[in-house]
Amino acid sequence: MQLGDARTGKMAENIVGFGRSLRRAGLPMDSARISLALDSALLVGLDQKSDFRAALQATMVCRQQDLDVFEQLFDAYFRNPELTQQLLSQLLPKATEAASKPKRRPRVQEALAAVRAAATKKTPREEEFQFDAAMTASTLARLHHADFDGLNASEFRLVERLVREMTLPWPQIGSRRLRASTRGMRLDWASTSREAARYDGELLRFPYLSRRQESLPLLILLDVSGSMERYARLMLAFLHQSTRHINRSIFAFGNQLTDLSKLFRLSDTDAMLEGANRLISDFAGGTQMGDCLSTLRLEHHRKLVGHRTVVLLISDGLDTGQPDDLKEALNWLRRNCRSLLWLNPLLRFEGYQASAGGAQLLQKHAGGVLAIHNLSHLEALSDGLAQLLKR
Amino acid sequence: MTGTHTPDSIDELIASLAEVGYQAERRLATAVFLSLRLQRPLLLEGEPGVGKTELAKALARVLNRPLIRLQCYDGMEQREALYEWNHAAQLMRMRAQQDHADPEQLEREIYQEKYLIHRPLLKALQAPAPGAVLLIDEVDRADAPFEAFLLEYLGEFQISIPEFGTIQAVCPPVTILTSNRTRDLNDAVKRRCLFHWMDYPERDRELAIVRAQVPQAGEALAEQVAMFVSRLRGAPFVSAFSRSPGIAESIEWAKALVALNTLELDPEVVQSTVGILFKQREDVAALEPLLEALLAPVDDTE
Repeated sequence: MQLGDARTGKMAENIVGFGRSLRRAGLPMDSARISLALDSALLVGLDQKSDFRAALQATMVCRQQDLDVFEQLFDAYFRNPELTQQLLSQLLPKATEAASKPKRRPRVQEALAAVRAAATKKTPREEEFQFDAAMTASTLARLHHADFDGLNASEFRLVERLVREMTLPWPQIGSRRLRASTRGMRLDWASTSREAARYDGELLRFPYLSRRQESLPLLILLDVSGSMERYARLMLAFLHQSTRHINRSIFAFGNQLTDLSKLFRLSDTDAMLEGANRLISDFAGGTQMGDCLSTLRLEHHRKLVGHRTVVLLISDGLDTGQPDDLKEALNWLRRNCRSLLWLNPLLRFEGYQASAGGAQLLQKHAGGVLAIHNLSHLEALSDGLAQLLKR
Repeated sequence: MTGTHTPDSIDELIASLAEVGYQAERRLATAVFLSLRLQRPLLLEGEPGVGKTELAKALARVLNRPLIRLQCYDGMEQREALYEWNHAAQLMRMRAQQDHADPEQLEREIYQEKYLIHRPLLKALQAPAPGAVLLIDEVDRADAPFEAFLLEYLGEFQISIPEFGTIQAVCPPVTILTSNRTRDLNDAVKRRCLFHWMDYPERDRELAIVRAQVPQAGEALAEQVAMFVSRLRGAPFVSAFSRSPGIAESIEWAKALVALNTLELDPEVVQSTVGILFKQREDVAALEPLLEALLAPVDDTE
């Protein structure tokens, strides 16, 4: 029997259609997977709907987070395929938004604006003059040491562009994986015998293996409360680009914890920032650090990879939550990571003392404190991190 | 079980698994059945202690095939998972033959199968009919580059060795991969596998498992253990603990209670054995104030 045969109905067509609906709902679905689903439907038969459902699930879903989508779509599709369209538009806000005029990304808009300005040959507006002036060497040097909080709007925009282009060598350690090298700690026996075989059994040289260098995984916790608003935006732009080759997880916290890791997978920083604006509901709100860290512990403890993770906690330490909760959460965090480092923008004040309750706790539990309030400090960040990690 | 019969239906598979002491829910059994029939690897994800590894063991008993186990760890290399050349023997052979053979012949001679050390994946491929059950355990513990070594095996059931050639499976091994989801696996691995997410069992299934695994436990005790553990995993108690106990823990707990000659649970005995359910000081401390609610008699609505 073949599914899709005129004598037996249109099940094959339906399964293909269902696969395509799943793909529209964001599940990874290629035609090989759909044909596997067809095979599996043939094997379990259509006598029992639950078996049929389980068969499609085993072949078409490969992530736990997709299971709910599958269940809902399955129910809708195999009762009434028409309903699926409706459901899809609910599942995917994008599907409805797509109908409206596509929004251009800020970088595209800027690029187009420049082209248009050149074409119409209008006199440049004053603001653009300022932008040009900001690029002069002396201004750049000044911005380098200027506190982020004291920047005006156009300077802020410029600095935001600059931090995206900063590349930092993040701290590395020798991984357990080996690579060929001229010297090292272990003889590469496979290459040795391969070469010996080539030269009539003579051992002419000894190739070695050494440890491959690997970046430590990062867990970044970024305070987005009111007092941190300006730094938070710049740090998001900075971290998004400079940590893009590293195994990283990032969370924003204020009154609640928001997982930004998925957004950070976007390659475009503007799109990431736009998404972050949408996702973080408590931007510029209060700080309940203890609660947020407890949520991290309960729901995302897997992000801490085998005591190797370096945790960067970016906050001014002005916490309004319960000190006991924060203390316990910080204790847990410190026990489960390689290093807990505090990046504190308030270090801009000379003679800064951690006097706020939260700041005192952070100072006590963190393995080190680093300043991040201007560009030159951001540039020095990797050296600072490397030194703290060596301790 | 005798013979090497592969179950013909999902029901038969459930029954055979139950015979060897594994209570599989129907969805899981469907995924396993498909993996056997379509000859595809099966990726099982789920919390620790929900019976992923046990399934592979039970399946090996049901199919009467040897179980070959590859325990993954960080930094695992191809030579520990697939194959390795016996370099010492190769070098000795070369020294012995040095003046008698021409170089090309020498090269051919030292890359023969007898100098190949079989690691789990190669062992599974070369297992004589009816083949083996290969368990690639905790694949998420290995680092991402390691997954690339698995691709050829998972997709084609073969391994290419540059100096030797391609080794194909005598009989496609039944392959089970397990992951605790400490990280997301690469899509390339996932596309080659069937997938099943294993959840904690509902109370009745847990009771059946405890009964099957700890037959010495009295009926009342087994029921109480299943009830207590299933309450721990559900709202509102689950949020109080950093990790819920798995099936493995509830079985261990039931065994411990039997060893203490317990007939019925009471707060005192729970507290003295709590180290089996929870391994974190904070969780142990969080349990005490909840004990009364957790030990309350069964409500019909549950």
